[in-house]
Amino acid sequence: MSPHHFRLAANIGLDLLRALGVAVGIVVFTFFVIRMIPGDVVDVRGIEGSLTYSQQSAMREELGLNKPWLTQFLDWSGMILTGDLGQSARFARPIADLLGAVLPSTLLLGATALAIGIVVGVTVSVLAVLFPRSVFVPVVDFITIWSITVPTFSIGIMSLIVFAVWLGWIPAIGNFLVPALILGLDTAGSIAKALHEDMREVQTSEFVRSARARGVSHARIVLRHILPNALTVTIAIIGLMLAGVFTGAITMEVVFGLPGLGTLTLQAIKGRDYAVVQAIIIWLGVTVIFANFVADTIRKLINPRLRTI
Amino acid sequence: MTAEALTRPVRTRLAGLDPVTMLAWLIIIIALFIALAGPFLATHDPMMFSAEMNEQPGNGHLLGTDDGGRDVFSRLMVGTGLSLFYGASAAMVALVLGAVTALIAMSLGKPIELALFAVVDLVRALPGILFALAFIVAFEPGAFSVVLALGVSFAPNFAMITRATYEQQLAQPYTAAAKVLGAGRGRIALIHVLPNIGGALITQFAIILPRCIVSESVLSFLGLGVSSELPSWGRMIATATPYMEEAPHALLAPIIMLSAVTFALAIIGNAQRQRLTHTTKRSAI
Repeated sequence: MSPHHFRLAANIGLDLLRALGVAVGIVVFTFFVIRMIPGDVVDVRGIEGSLTYSQQSAMREELGLNKPWLTQFLDWSGMILTGDLGQSARFARPIADLLGAVLPSTLLLGATALAIGIVVGVTVSVLAVLFPRSVFVPVVDFITIWSITVPTFSIGIMSLIVFAVWLGWIPAIGNFLVPALILGLDTAGSIAKALHEDMREVQTSEFVRSARARGVSHARIVLRHILPNALTVTIAIIGLMLAGVFTGAITMEVVFGLPGLGTLTLQAIKGRDYAVVQAIIIWLGVTVIFANFVADTIRKLINPRLRTI
Repeated sequence: MTAEALTRPVRTRLAGLDPVTMLAWLIIIIALFIALAGPFLATHDPMMFSAEMNEQPGNGHLLGTDDGGRDVFSRLMVGTGLSLFYGASAAMVALVLGAVTALIAMSLGKPIELALFAVVDLVRALPGILFALAFIVAFEPGAFSVVLALGVSFAPNFAMITRATYEQQLAQPYTAAAKVLGAGRGRIALIHVLPNIGGALITQFAIILPRCIVSESVLSFLGLGVSSELPSWGRMIATATPYMEEAPHALLAPIIMLSAVTFALAIIGNAQRQRLTHTTKRSAI
């Protein structure tokens, strides 16, 4: 192993350790915050009148809700480590099943939005730099300002009124395309903002000027010299945006009445099903941390200057 | 600022604003006026139910009525102040919490800095709304927990900005000079860095404020907002959504208000940020 490889490995190893630390933090934090909620799932079912008092205490016994917090925490973290997310008391099903049932639709919405965002965002930014006097420059400005100023929540509700109520083009409940487009445009704006700004900055650097002086064509300069240098930022932005895309997907699901993680979260919160809320937060948090770690690693592989040791 | 810029009359400085920014300021001024004068502008009791449900605009109700027969215009007038107040409080909590955490972390040395920023990373990793959801259910829904939850979830933005500014100031010759003269990290943080992060914090505040207002609306929409009775924008949107076919006006009124105000705030925040990056770039040369 050369010193170069060793340093790279140490860098990535340190990042991994930090990511794991934050993941453990999320698990601990979630457990204790969720435990602070007054009333548990058994109370809610008791109020609904579906359980007698003795049934309630039997249920608490079975779910381990009458044990001290620390014991509950140790039991539960042991379970999490083996990949068992536990049982939903409200839906009387394993949480892994519940998550498995809704995750595909949320992932599909998030992934579609992300794909639209990356394709549109990267394409218009590159075209705007390739053809600086074309319509693509105002297009980049427009989607950038759009994503900064128009929240997906309000545009989602407005398009429901316009397209579902007034024009009757889409159903008021269960439309997939419109929320995906709204989230996608929002994502495209954030990507275009970072990529375009960065490409324009690279454009003024010495090596681009010298390439120009050597007579390299504009298209070649943009595609071979500027774009690869600007992409590291975009990769980082995509990693960081993942949390936002998921949050957006959750909100959009509730607005457009789509089944998914958002709808499940709401049901779980209203039914005080801690175990489910816990599992959702942990799953999302760990996914986001892992995505950020991967994005960081890719950036450091591409650009050695970003390595911290 | 040059002497010429100082002596330039106000009129031309205003004329220097582009039309979009002027529109944004106009929206803000109108919204602030409504926020302050709301209760006097209301034509009806915003909480009073009546039998005239989902009525179209006109007929004694400027913007019609909602599903409970309540006057939409009056609710909007009162709700504007509520939404702006909760949004601004949340952003303020985020600013103070983030800046103070970062300054403490930077003053107390590397180990504490690393530990506190690990917490910042943790909050940053959780999607904002989800974090707020967990927080709000834990502390019972209500104005206090909404403001606190949004404040905590947006605090990392301010902490990061403060740390970046601190490091920037630390690289300046005058802080180096202060260090040579024996000033500790805490003294540098308080005397040298704090007065210099104002601009960055205000800019960040302008960027975070619209996001807090929207987040409060989303939380109210999800049924976890400040209160089920008070007519904040999100609450109005939530109650009108199931009836959007019969009474689209009851949904449209708050959503247009929310969109206009967040649009205006974001435009101003963005312009402010651009101005700041321009001046720092220029002064760095």
